[in-house]
Amino acid sequence: MLNTGAQSDSQIEVHKYYAGAVILVCFLALLLQAFLHKFGHFAELLDLPLLVTFYFGMSRRKPVSGLFLGAAVGILQDALSHGSPIGLYGIAKTLVGYVGSSIGGRIDTEHPVSRLVLVFLCFHFHQAVLATTERLLLNRAAPYFTLHLLLASLVTAAFAVVLFALLDRLRKPL
Amino acid sequence: MLDILSRHRTLSLLAGVVLAQMLLLAFQIKREHDVRLIRYWAAELVTPGERAATWSLSKTGSVWSGYIALHRARVENERLRAELDRLRIHNRELETQAGEGQRLRALLGLRDAHAEAPMLAAQVIGASADSSSHTLFINRGERDHVRRNMAVITPDGIVGKIVEVLANNTSQVLLLSDKDSGVGALFADTRTHGVLRGTGDPELHLEYVVNDEPVHPGEIILTSGDDRIFPKGLVIGTVTDAAPGNPFQVIHVRPAARLDRLEDVLILLSQHELVPQQAEESSDTGEANPATPGIVPPLPASPKTEPAASTGATLVGPKPTAKPAVRTSSATGQAASTPKPPATIRTPSTPSPAPKTPAPAAQPAPQQ
Repeated sequence: MLNTGAQSDSQIEVHKYYAGAVILVCFLALLLQAFLHKFGHFAELLDLPLLVTFYFGMSRRKPVSGLFLGAAVGILQDALSHGSPIGLYGIAKTLVGYVGSSIGGRIDTEHPVSRLVLVFLCFHFHQAVLATTERLLLNRAAPYFTLHLLLASLVTAAFAVVLFALLDRLRKPL
Repeated sequence: MLDILSRHRTLSLLAGVVLAQMLLLAFQIKREHDVRLIRYWAAELVTPGERAATWSLSKTGSVWSGYIALHRARVENERLRAELDRLRIHNRELETQAGEGQRLRALLGLRDAHAEAPMLAAQVIGASADSSSHTLFINRGERDHVRRNMAVITPDGIVGKIVEVLANNTSQVLLLSDKDSGVGALFADTRTHGVLRGTGDPELHLEYVVNDEPVHPGEIILTSGDDRIFPKGLVIGTVTDAAPGNPFQVIHVRPAARLDRLEDVLILLSQHELVPQQAEESSDTGEANPATPGIVPPLPASPKTEPAASTGATLVGPKPTAKPAVRTSSATGQAASTPKPPATIRTPSTPSPAPKTPAPAAQPAPQQ
């Protein structure tokens, strides 16, 4: 279902991917996110599941697919993290997938600079949803903005430019 | 609703997925007292509705019981009003009976206290139709051996005298307040004599008291026995006001007996003197005996007088009724040859003034 190409709008490209590519990339992103945590704190600066969710939502430009992909990735991320209730990242990733696919259908997301800016904004949107959910439901004093988050957003955005260029290779030719 | 959902299918789906995950979160999260968040939410969701339902039900019940279902209340109200009226009447009857019982007990007490003096209880059955005439009708008459000029008293004080025996069971009483009424009187403290006259008003006038005699409001006035109707020592009333006059003082006296509220009275069948209970002890101390209402024992003898010649001797023990005037005259220092017959008391035109000279107690008592 995730590999099924969508009908393109009159002016916006809708990209298709090879079979199993989306699932595989998402699985690898979750695996690496869990694996990289073992090697140091630098891994905390990256959020690979966020990047793949935003990328596939933005590229495929189908909000329904984007929100389901985000929900699936977020719930799996919750399941793999310790002490985090199931649904915390799920809600945030669902909204990121929806917003990413909505944006992808309206503006050009192929340029590296626009990708850098969009990922930077997406990171903080994701953090805002996460903090709000934690504050409202878990009664935790989660921060909306810190220097560490700013640094993480910059690193993630820069990493996203490279990662998205690599993932572009998984597209089926038009 | 379905139309809106289908029109905004994507947004509805997003909301559904987010909501489902929030519920999932709420199911996992525990708040205070180990209660899951979803339970809090469920309670928050349900309790306003329950509260509203309870409020509505309560208001509906209030409206029903307070307005619609009032037909029973009206019937009950009428029944309770009738019950209240019946109980009020019953209560009034009981109060009347209690008051009558108290009056009769007082009369009985007076009678028991003076068993030596023949008395007859009577009920007031009517009053004069003429407002200027202060008379009463009582339910005792010829059959009860009631005669004219017999004294009528209450435990509070004297009331008047029998003026007419109208039938076997009816007599007419002339009240103290009647203009034609007159009673021989004396001050309880100074033993100064005078004549008490009715005025047609509630207050009486004490006449024939010289201006030199000090009189103060509140002084008690007693019968002197000079009139040969009322035994000596019965309470008449108290002085309310005294002012110098020409040639005698003008003294107002308020009767001790409530002449306007009489219901039960006692008729003295003779002028037998009423001896206060424990008269001997009381005469020693000079204190009034509270157990004998309406009767004031005499003062102790003045140091200037011989004890037996003073008023104390006249009150101790019954004395023959044939000589009250002589005895009183002796006590007041008047000549024994000028007794005051009852007729002089009855008729104001022929009073027996018996003007009192000061300090009568200093006079010797020839009777002894």
